[in-house]
Parts: sequence; C-alpha cells; structure tokens
Amino acid sequence: MDTWNILEYAAWALSALFAILMLSDMARIDTTYDNDLLTSSREGEIEAEAERHVI
Amino acid sequence: MAYKPPKQSLGGQIFDVLTLLVLTVGALYIPLYLGLAGAAKTPAPIENPTWEALGQNANEQAQWAALGYTDPAAVNDMITARFDYSFSWSALIIMAVLVIGYFILVVRLSDKEYRDVIEERFGPKEE
Amino acid sequence: MSNTNANAGQPARLQLLRVLGPAHIWALGVGIVLVGEYMGWNFSVGKGGMIAGLVACWVAGLLYTCVAMIDSEVTSTVAAAGGQYAQAKHIVGPLMAFNVGLFLVMAYTMLEAGNAITIGFLLDTVAGLQGHSGLNQQPFIVLAIMFLAWLNYRGVLATLTFNLVITAIAFLAIITLFLVVQMGGSAVPLDFSAVTTDPMPYGWVGIIAALHFGLWFYLGIEGTCQAAEEVRSPARSLPYGTMAGIMTLLIAATMTWYVCSGLIPWEYLGQAGTPLFDAARVTGNSSLMVLLFVGTMFSTLASANGCINDASRAWFSMGRDRYLPIWFGAVHPVYRTPYRSIVFLVPIALIFALGAPLDQVVTFSILSGLLGYTFMTFNMVMFRNKWPLGSIKRGYVHPFHPLPTIVLLLLCGTAYFAVFLGYGTQLIAMTGFYIVASLWFHFRRYRYVRRGDQFTMPWPRPEGY
Repeated sequence: MDTWNILEYAAWALSALFAILMLSDMARIDTTYDNDLLTSSREGEIEAEAERHVI
Repeated sequence: MAYKPPKQSLGGQIFDVLTLLVLTVGALYIPLYLGLAGAAKTPAPIENPTWEALGQNANEQAQWAALGYTDPAAVNDMITARFDYSFSWSALIIMAVLVIGYFILVVRLSDKEYRDVIEERFGPKEE
Repeated sequence: MSNTNANAGQPARLQLLRVLGPAHIWALGVGIVLVGEYMGWNFSVGKGGMIAGLVACWVAGLLYTCVAMIDSEVTSTVAAAGGQYAQAKHIVGPLMAFNVGLFLVMAYTMLEAGNAITIGFLLDTVAGLQGHSGLNQQPFIVLAIMFLAWLNYRGVLATLTFNLVITAIAFLAIITLFLVVQMGGSAVPLDFSAVTTDPMPYGWVGIIAALHFGLWFYLGIEGTCQAAEEVRSPARSLPYGTMAGIMTLLIAATMTWYVCSGLIPWEYLGQAGTPLFDAARVTGNSSLMVLLFVGTMFSTLASANGCINDASRAWFSMGRDRYLPIWFGAVHPVYRTPYRSIVFLVPIALIFALGAPLDQVVTFSILSGLLGYTFMTFNMVMFRNKWPLGSIKRGYVHPFHPLPTIVLLLLCGTAYFAVFLGYGTQLIAMTGFYIVASLWFHFRRYRYVRRGDQFTMPWPRPEGY
C-alpha cells in the first residue's frame, strides 16, 4: 500500500462524490420545478428582443 | 395550417435515445471487433544493429540516451518500422462514392424538409 | 407549451446566462485544441517524416484559417447555442442540422474520452518513474470526467474562467520550452540532420498521409461558436476570440514542431505518447520536465472541459428543437446550464474512455470534425446565395469569398484520402453510421419536430424559396 494506491482510492471516492452531487441536485431540481419552465428556453431570443417578427 | 407534431410518450423518448446510443456504440466497436481497425507499422529489423547502421548521428544518439535507450538493439524495431501505403483503387472509389453519396442524400432530404419550414414560417411561396 | 412566442404577461423564460467575454471564447477555442500540441500531432511525423510533419502543420493551419474565417461570418450572424447546428438548420435544412449536431457531439465526446485516456496514461508514466508499476488508470479517468462535468454543471462562467487560467499556463509552458531550448538551455543540442539526410521516408504520399494527424494541431477551434448564447456580444466577441485563437495555435504549433523535431529522433517522435514532455526529458532540465508535465495535464483538462461544454450545448440545442427528446432541452433554474445534457453525456464519454484504444477514439473524433468542415463549404455558398450581402446584418464578412471555401473543400478532400490511408474501415463505418442515423431521423424522428418554429432568426425569406 503506497501513495499511489491511496490516490487510486481517493480518486474513486471523489468521483463518487461528484456523481452524487450532480445526481442529487438534478433529482431535487426536477422534483421542485415544473418541467415546462425548465424546458422553456428558446433559440434566438436575443435577436427576437431587438426585432420581433409577427407570425 | 401549421404542422402539429404528435406528443411523444416517455417510453418513446427513451426508446429513441437508446436507438441512437446503440448506433453510436456499434459504429465504434464493430470495426474493432472485426479486427479491421487501425493501421500498424511493420518493423524490418536489420542484422547486428549499430547506431551508425541505423543512421543515427552523434547528436541523435545523445537524444536516444536521454530518452532512456542506450542499446541500439532496443530501438531496432522502432527505427525500421514503416507504414504500408499501398491501397486498392476499388476501395478508394467505394469510399469516395459513399462519402459523396452521403452528402448528396442529406442535402436533398434536408432541402425537402427546409421548404416546409420556410413555407410555414413565411407563408406560401409568391410566384 | 403550445404558444412558443414570448408575450407580455407570460412568466419569465429560463435562458442560458450571458456572461462571457472574448477572453473566454479564446480560452474555449484554444483550450480544446492546445492538447493537440501536447499529444497526437506527432503521429503525423510517424506517417510521413519530419518534413511531412511541418507541411501538415502548415497545410492544416491553412485549412483551419479557412474554417475560422467562414465560421466567423456565419456565427456572427446566427448566434445560437449549438453553433454549426443552428447554422445548418437555418441555411441547409433540418436533416443536415441533425447530422451536424451529431458530428459535434461525437467529435467532442470522443475528444473528451481521448483526453481522459491521456491523463490516465500520463499518471501511469509518472508513477512508473517513481517506481510504482501497474497503476490502475480507471479511477483517474473517471475522476477527470466527473470533476469537469460537475464544474460544467455548476455554471459556465466558472468553467471557462478555469479554462482560461489553465490554458494560459499550458501555452506559456510551450513558449518557455522554446525559449530555453533556443538559448542553449538543453543538455543535448537541437539536431535537424534528418531533414536533409532522410527528408521524405515515404515520398510524397507520406506528406498527404501526414495531414490526417496534422488536423490534430487545431481540431476543435470551431467549437467557439457553441458559446454564442452565453456571450455578452456575440457578433463582436466570437470572430475576435476565434481569430485570436487560430493565431495562437499557429504560433504554438510551429514552435512545437521545431522543438520536438530538433530534440527527438523522428522515429521515436512518430509514436510518442506525450511528445512535449519527452522533449523536456531530453533537455535534462528537471524544472522544464515539471513544467511540461503540468502543461500536459492542464491542456488535457482544459480540452476535456471545453469538450463537455460544447457537446452538451449541441445536445441541448437538439433537444430544444425536439430533434432529440425535449427532456434534454432543460436549463438549470439556478446555474443556467443545460444540466440534463451534461449529466447524460457523462456515461457516454466513460464508455469510450474506458473501453476503446486512443487512436480509434482520436480517429473518430477527427472524422466527425472532417465531415463538419466539409459541411461548412456548401453551407457558406448557400448562405451567400440565400441571403446575399446587404440583405441581412452580418457581424463580420470574410474577405476573398469564395476562395476560402474552395481551398477548404480541396483540403478536406485531401484529408479524406489521408484518413483512408490506414483508417479506411473506420471512415466507411462512420459514414455508414451517419447514413443510418439520417434515415432514422428523416423517416421517424422528424414527426415530432415543429416545422416553422425551427427557423428562429429574424431574417427575410431566403432567395429562391
């Protein structure tokens, strides 16, 4: 058991930590907010602000 | 009248993503499994290698030494390895047809879809 | 959901955050690419010799200058996340856009996997130098991807500021190595005798073959336009950051070729895993070795980081348009990042980083990039035909049209031939994949896409339609 072995375990542990942080946050956001709000982004909003086209 | 797309079920969404995934992984791993992937160099080691016979001058010998190679026999394979660039014209033509055909296919189908998009966005074409 | 136009009184929309300046664009572009100087480009020397390596470096530089010019013009006009994907959607059509979106996701995800593999390999080398053999590389590969994905998840400004710092350090490491070697700081002198005694070991075909990996010097610079929705003033920052990026890379690439070719016998260089680090080893200067080790680590991290950023933007944009399930088109309400796309692409990158050999992954990345550059040629012609100069406002107009387009098309053709020499099977497998995916999109997936809504730019009707 030398430093590199310890580093291997540390790397596994940190990977798991980051994965859990991301997944738990994602689960929290997905249950807290309405899906329609989360997917409300639209392409080209900048241009539309300056020059709105009526369809 | 604007086109109204059907609402896709959750199962359908998952199925579509899985289809794409299987395609992607397949495209990478099929050549690997068939053993068709990659170009390898073939070494042509020479008899009784010396630095001079391998064409390495004094500076280059010092460079090899710095990289950890002091024995010319150890690098005999590395120095003499060469790629084989002979190829068959038929394979080249198949490839060219495939790539060009692919782009033609995509552009033509895109153009068909694009006309719908423009018509819905800007109204019917004025003659 | 039925009303997609923002009107007064509607609740606020979630958008990506507009926080980036030109320096971030430079960091995104150069950050992704600079790793090519630290590993990979040198296979071009293996494929054709030292002269071929230099020719490949400059020819590929010309190719990418054309790419940068063309891309700057279109992107400064079509400023949307997804970059070339949004360009294709407005200029060529939906199916082309779907393909371009896939090119981007594949090119960047594969490159990200390649970077993670290199990190594992480099740590293994260092562990070996310290007397620990048989390091398990997997935890470090996984950690690199997880950490960078988490960073991307948390917000674009921190991600790209981090990229700016580590990219700048990696770039300065190359300059330092060049200056030290040039001032005679190397224990072993520069030696270019192979240029005269054995100039072209494979003849002219070797020069063409070398172009395959010559692309690696610059691959990914076009990723700058993925950030279009997050830049404060895209019409100005994107061309500026991209052009500064390509200039940086031309300088770095030439210096890298010079130092490595002078210090390393070409037979070794042609198969080296980490050429700049090896050049530092040859100088016998231990502080240079540490510097170039840090540079290699930073450049791979910066590249993987930028790749996660770009691949997730492309995937997100396709989800937003329902080319992929709409579920992916979500924006995080606090961090304002395409968080579902970022998370989804993590396991994909891991499949390739843990399961496939480096040169395969790199070739897939290069091929997807090459298909994308081919698309840019006719995209540019169609753009000028459908909206001639003066009909819409362009942020930047590139000079000498159509010369860059023609040069780019010729160079792409040559590069296909270069890939064909040795990697023809992958080229065919890859094209087969895109053909099947295209048919799938056209005949099945496109049903779920709204037609007129795809065209989001406030432009007049294209000419001839």
